[in-house]
Amino acid sequence: MSEPAPLSDQERADLVAYLDGELTGEAARAMEAKLSLDPATRAEADALRRTWELLDFLPQPQPSLRFTHRTLERLGPLRADEQQRRQRWRMRCFGLGWVAALLVSAWVGYAGYNWLVPREPGERELLQDLRILENKRLYERIETLDFWRALDAPDLFGDETSTS
Amino acid sequence: MSATGESSTQLALRDPEIRLMLRVREDDAGAFEELVELYQQRLVALMHHLVGNAEEAEDLAQEVFLRVYRSRKKYRPRSKFSTWLFTIANNLALNALRSRQRKPTLSLPAQDSGPLGPRPAEQLVPDRGSGPMRRLERQELTERIRQALEGLNERQRMAVVLNKFEDLNYAEIAEVMGLTTKAVKSLLSRARENLRAALSSYIYMDGEHAREGSER
Repeated sequence: MSEPAPLSDQERADLVAYLDGELTGEAARAMEAKLSLDPATRAEADALRRTWELLDFLPQPQPSLRFTHRTLERLGPLRADEQQRRQRWRMRCFGLGWVAALLVSAWVGYAGYNWLVPREPGERELLQDLRILENKRLYERIETLDFWRALDAPDLFGDETSTS
Repeated sequence: MSATGESSTQLALRDPEIRLMLRVREDDAGAFEELVELYQQRLVALMHHLVGNAEEAEDLAQEVFLRVYRSRKKYRPRSKFSTWLFTIANNLALNALRSRQRKPTLSLPAQDSGPLGPRPAEQLVPDRGSGPMRRLERQELTERIRQALEGLNERQRMAVVLNKFEDLNYAEIAEVMGLTTKAVKSLLSRARENLRAALSSYIYMDGEHAREGSER
């Protein structure tokens, strides 16, 4: 009688998964069938199960009685460090707040000044209104807009004296 | 949303440990202490199985708690709280094991828990047999099992410890270790095969040989 072929890696992985309850549905049924029909797979399963059970012999280590106390003690410097960092952050925010407040008040001051105090016209604006400025005295003598429009009529002075 | 499609609010309502962690996040006085009390045994045991040294295991477990505290403000309940905690533990333990590989240290036998000798709990390991011979056999067996576990690579060891002692399923182990479920399946299969090879002479110690095996 020939030796049964050893399990392949995939077959062994499936067998271990089956023992761990991780194989479901068709795969689980196929493994059950294999186990009931193949003594070699059954022996392999038994050895793997027994090996797994041997791990129960390992002692379950317990933490020392002062474990909680020592852990909380190590928390102390951490908390102090966090508090320091929070304080530094608060100071930074406070400083930034001051800088922001200064910038806002400077802008408000500038805008308010421009709004309240009329600005002297610049050279360009003066040049733009040069003709009006030159005829200022004449314009001042015009009392109504209708009269000014009447002066512009072509049949009064011809085209030469257009006000525009 | 969690892997199961639950919203974080639903998770928080269902899992009392998440509610506790949310209290820690809100700086509720006493909540952190409650958390340490609740998880210290599991974390110390997990670390002990991984690093094989009581002092180092306690230090690492403490470091896990401190990291939890430091990152409490960033905590969002996306999956089971224990999964989040074990993810931190996994990262820390793997770092510790890797740095130990770089500068090897002498590890003490599991029973030498400190200058005062074995702790009471270690002495309370159930002794199924009686008599000095039986105790000696048992001690030897425990030592061989510990060596077999230490013989696994760090990832296999982590997967075994989470599966065996923390009852985490493959999907949870995958989340903790940042792997796919398929990778965990293969990792655990290889780990169990390695353990079986290392402990083959102890599997049928009680004289009961596998009848199935003899049928081969």
